[in-house]
Parts: sequence; structure tokens; C-alpha cells
Amino acid sequence: MSEIESIIEQGLARGQGALSEYWSKKVLAAAGVPVTREELAGDADQAVALAGEIGFPVALKACSWRLMHKSEAGAVALNLTGADAVRMAYERVAGAADELEGVLVQEMVAGSRELVAGLIRDPQFGACVMVGLGGVLTEVLQDTAFRVAPLDLGEAQDMISELRCAAMLERFRGQAAVDRQELGRMLIALGGLGLEHPAVAEIDVNPIIADRQGRLKAADALVVLRGGDHA
Amino acid sequence: MLKSVQDSPLHRIANPRSVAFFGASNNITSMGTSQLLALLDMGYPGAVYPVHPKLEQVQGLKAYQSVLDLPEAPDLAVLVLPTRLVPEVIDQCGRRGIKRAVVVSGGFDEHGDQGRELQQQLDQAAERHGIRYLGPNCLGVAAPHNQVNTTFLPYEARPGFIGMASQSGSFVTQMFDYLDKFGLGFSVAMSVGNEANLDLVDVIEYLAVEPHTKVIALYVESLRRGRRFLEVAREVSPHKPIVALYVGGSEAGRRASLSHTGALAGPDRLYDGVFRQAGVIRARTLEEMFDFCWALADCPVPAGDRVVIQTHSGGPGATAADACGRAGLQLPPVSQATRQKLAPYIPPTTSLNNPVDVTYTKNPLEYLLEMPKVLLADEGYDGMIFYYLVPEGAVKRALLAMGLDPDQAAAQAEAMLEQQAAAIKEMVSASGKPLVGFSFRTRDDAFIRRLQDQGVVVLPSGERAAAAMAALVNYGRLRSKVLAAPWPAGT
Repeated sequence: MSEIESIIEQGLARGQGALSEYWSKKVLAAAGVPVTREELAGDADQAVALAGEIGFPVALKACSWRLMHKSEAGAVALNLTGADAVRMAYERVAGAADELEGVLVQEMVAGSRELVAGLIRDPQFGACVMVGLGGVLTEVLQDTAFRVAPLDLGEAQDMISELRCAAMLERFRGQAAVDRQELGRMLIALGGLGLEHPAVAEIDVNPIIADRQGRLKAADALVVLRGGDHA
Repeated sequence: MLKSVQDSPLHRIANPRSVAFFGASNNITSMGTSQLLALLDMGYPGAVYPVHPKLEQVQGLKAYQSVLDLPEAPDLAVLVLPTRLVPEVIDQCGRRGIKRAVVVSGGFDEHGDQGRELQQQLDQAAERHGIRYLGPNCLGVAAPHNQVNTTFLPYEARPGFIGMASQSGSFVTQMFDYLDKFGLGFSVAMSVGNEANLDLVDVIEYLAVEPHTKVIALYVESLRRGRRFLEVAREVSPHKPIVALYVGGSEAGRRASLSHTGALAGPDRLYDGVFRQAGVIRARTLEEMFDFCWALADCPVPAGDRVVIQTHSGGPGATAADACGRAGLQLPPVSQATRQKLAPYIPPTTSLNNPVDVTYTKNPLEYLLEMPKVLLADEGYDGMIFYYLVPEGAVKRALLAMGLDPDQAAAQAEAMLEQQAAAIKEMVSASGKPLVGFSFRTRDDAFIRRLQDQGVVVLPSGERAAAAMAALVNYGRLRSKVLAAPWPAGT
């Protein structure tokens, strides 16, 4: 059994309706999607130690499959610049979720360009991939493009060029152009997950942050499972 | 792709050698009678057998009490009957050896449990006899080249090159007259109704090999076989352009979803992506759909998006230019070399920008033929938008002023316009580049009519011409993309 299959199996065996951010990103990383550097901490001391290894600033996030929309639940602390800040944030974040797997200590990616990508299953078209403008304006502007999986790089590039925000992917306010090939490969990988793993119902990768060098990293992710508990 | 049109189950629906007609009578207000009359009005050359339980004659044709009494097994049965009778009649048709049908009757799946049960009975009867049918709840087919029309309105246009598959019957029948206003017409148009047996995708596969069809128009509310559509459209669209009008995309249709992605997946955005992936050009309005069909059928595909506009009136040129900008088309300035080539035709004071706005030319033929020839030959342009204004009255007036009598002037004007239109078409074809014309004069104008009949696209405004040119550019791009990759990706 592949790493991806066994992660999904474990989630389903526990009756989960989704994978936590930690496991969602393990799935994405195994599929070739670049993700933020992160580890799970079981207590504040461990979180401080991990933050030191990853390098400040860090983010702390409550990690539970039940937390599908973390920021609204107060389960996230961003831009923690030192050990004290990590220690102080830990209890608050850890208290924000049931069925806690731990607290995720995560690198902060510096970059002002945010994208969103994802997978849905449409009754007529099956697995479909999305890319769009991410961040706080995602829902407001709804600048998105969809394709039916599987995609190739040409189709992925066409999809990216369809976005109104495509110009933002060029050199932008002193930041390098986004690696569109890399973004295209991410979209292809999302489509592949949908086609190869029927238990995956939907995927959100939001946000994907482009750093100053134009490299992309998935900073948050959610894999929704079919047949699990979605309460 | 089908090897030949005969391989399509729709072939004998659009081109039957004989027809059994159910539901027509001598009551001219009934729907069935209107439909029979529309078929007879077309001058349909095959045998028509009305089937009626009581009448001996229907609309002057010998009527039969039962389909089992017919002297031959017709290629097609058209049913305009009360819903409850349909499954039984289809069964009888099958027993008589009929293999194709148009089921006009409604009241099936769209009509609750009782309707669903009747649909099941209809499915079983059709299955039993291997009958393929359009509908139920449809208007059937208009195939003017074959003199076939099962809809209830007379076919008022000429036989044309637009093949259509429609999930609305009205967008078949009520377009006859609309298309005629541009000198256009359907090759074959099909109303698919509830798509219980043959659906939109089957019609696309048929039209792809139907020889009169140069371009395929789709009116889509929902695609039932989404992935099959994608597969078929990718195969067909590079060879025969497909234009779709999709209107199912209200945001109210958004699905309940746990992910942001799902919440963002409004059907409008999803279909937008599917069409691009399939190489299908999307139209936003019905007028746009037929404009695009016309341009795609009659113009070569441009190599790029650089357009030149020629006009002799400021406003029409400016609106076309504005629309080009919004449609993503480039309007590069006129090169020095081309300026020199145009110099003999224009007053030295004219400033040459793009639009090339010539308020005065010494000779109208230079405006219509020589200047566009120079501009189309410029390697810096991929296509041209052209403003046409040659009122027949003005031509006659000039001829009268030259001393011709009114009859001579009228005849001479007609001959001149005919000649000019033919020369323009020849010049445009020879250039190998697309030219989309526009004029505020309609087909009632002798010159516009002649241009259109020669196969020059002349649309009613600069905005529509720009949108059609953008559709051509877009088609070229999507075609290259689709041709470059097999489906599914990675195979």
C-alpha cells in the first residue's frame, strides 16, 4: 500500500470525514506538492523546541480533522517570533479543537501573493481541478478556473492564464515571477489524487503562498473523505 | 469519430426515406397537424403515412388505422400523441420494423412518478425492438437539405451550414427566420428534449460527419454525459468548430460543500473550463452564437490576435476599436512600408492609424479592394475588421448623374454591386486571412446582401464584428492546445 493509501485508510478506519492539516499535507507532499515545513508538538516545550529547529517566525495551528476552517475557530497563531510567544500561544491554540492530534508548528512563508487550488467531484464531469486567487479575497472576487482531470502541462498553463490575476504571477512588486511550471505540476497532482483515490471527496489547498523568489508552498490544506463522518 | 454519417443512429432521423406520422388529423389547429404540414411544406420527397384510428384521409394523404397496416416499414416514426399511448405505439412501430422515432409528446420524466413509469415502459419498448429515438418532449429535426422538418413551424430559411443540437426546441424552430435575416440556415438542427435515448453528445457525433455541416452550434442547459462530451468535443472541435451557448450557470445552482473549492465551483465557472478544455467556443448570447458560427464557417483561422480595422467613418471605426480592446485583440499601428503602399489611394493629408480611417477616396473600388488587399498582405496583421457602406441609392444617383435613364441606372447598379461583392470575396479568400465586416445596413441593402451571399461575413455592428474576430483567435489557440495533447492527458 502506498503512503497516500495508508493515510487515507487510517482516516477512514477512524471514521473521519476529513484528514487533519498535518495528514492532508503528507498526502499532498507524497503526490509531489511542495508544502510548508512543519511538525506536530504534544506540549508547549516540544513546540518551542520544534520552532527553534524550523526557524522563527513560526505559526501554531491546532491540528484536528474536525477543524476544517481553522482561522474562524481561533485555532491559529501566526508570526510568532520567539520562544515566549510560542509558549503563550500554545494553550490558546490547543484549546480551540476537539480530537486534537497535536499542535502544528509551521514555518511562515514570506510572500504577499496567495493562490488557492483544489479538487471537487462533479456529478457530470467527475474529478475537477481548480486554481484561483487565494487569500482573504478568494470568495469576494471568485477569480477561479476549473478543468476536468486529468490535465497535462499545456492545459494547466491555459487554466492559469485564464485567471484575471494572472499578471500577479509575473514579476510583481519586487518579487520574482511565480514558477508556473511548478503551479501546473501541483494542479496535475491534484487531479491525479482525485482519479487514483476514490475515497478522496474534495481537496482544498488554501493558501498556496508564493515567496519572494517565486517558489510556491502549500501553507494549509484539507482533504475531505468520502463516506466518513462530516458532523 | 464515426467513419461515415450512415453509422450514426441519427442519420435516418434526419434523412428518412419514408415517415409514419402519429397524431396528425384534419384539425389544423392541433400540434400534430402543424408538424405534418411543416413536413409536407418542405416538399418532402419520401412517402408519408399518417396513422389515425378513425380518419381515412389526413391532409389529403391516405391514413392507416394502425402502423401494422402500412405497406412498408418506414425509416422514421413521428409521435405527437397523448403520453399514455406512446409506449404502446412505439412497441407497435417496432413490430412493424421501424427503427427510428421522434417522440414529441411530453409528460415523461419531467412529470412526476406517473411520467417516470411511462418513461420506463417507453424505454422497454424501444429496447425490445432496438429503436433509437429523439425526445421525448422535443420538436425533432429540421434538415432542409433533405427537405425534412418535423417541427411545427415552417422552415423559412435556406438550407445552410450550421448544425445545431439544442436542449430547447424553440432555439431550433424560432431561429429559422432569425438566420434567414443574415442569409444563413441550418444544415441539420435537432431538438433533443429529455434525451432519454439520444442526447446532445450523439448529435455532436452525427453533425461531425454530416456533410452539409461546417460548424456546430449547441444550446446547453446541462450536460448529462459530461466526460463523454469532453472526449467527443475534443475529437471533433479541431476539425469542425463547436460553439456553445450555456445558460445553466446560475449561482443558485451551487452545491453544498465542505471545501472552499466546492463552494467556488459554480456551474458557470466549471462549464467555462470544460468548454476551453474541449476546444469549444463559448457564446454569451444567442446572437453571439450564430455570429461565431458564421465567422468560424466562412473565415480561415487567424495565426494571431493582431487586427487592422478599415473604415471611412469615425464613429463606427472607433466603436469597433474599443470592442477589440475589450475582447483582447491587438491593434498594431500601420507600418511605414504599408503606409507607402497605401499612399496612392488616399489624400496626402490623411493620418494613418489603426483604425485606418479614410474619409475620402478617389475611387470607391480602391477603398473596397485595393486598400484591404494591402492591409491583409501586411505580415503584422492576422485579420481585418471592415466597415461596409455602399447604399444602392447612392450608386444609382451617381449613375443617373452620368446621364443613364432610371431603368438603366438600376440595372447597372445591380450589376456593379454584384461584381464588387464577388471581387471582394475573391480578394479576401486569396489573402488567406479572416475578414469580418460590419454595417448598420441590413440584408435589405443590395450590397450587404450580395456580400453575404458571396460568403463575406457582415455583422450588424463593430462590437459584434470584434467579438466574432476574437472568437476566431480563441478558436485558433484552443485548437492548437487540443491538437497538441491526447485525451486523457498522459496517455
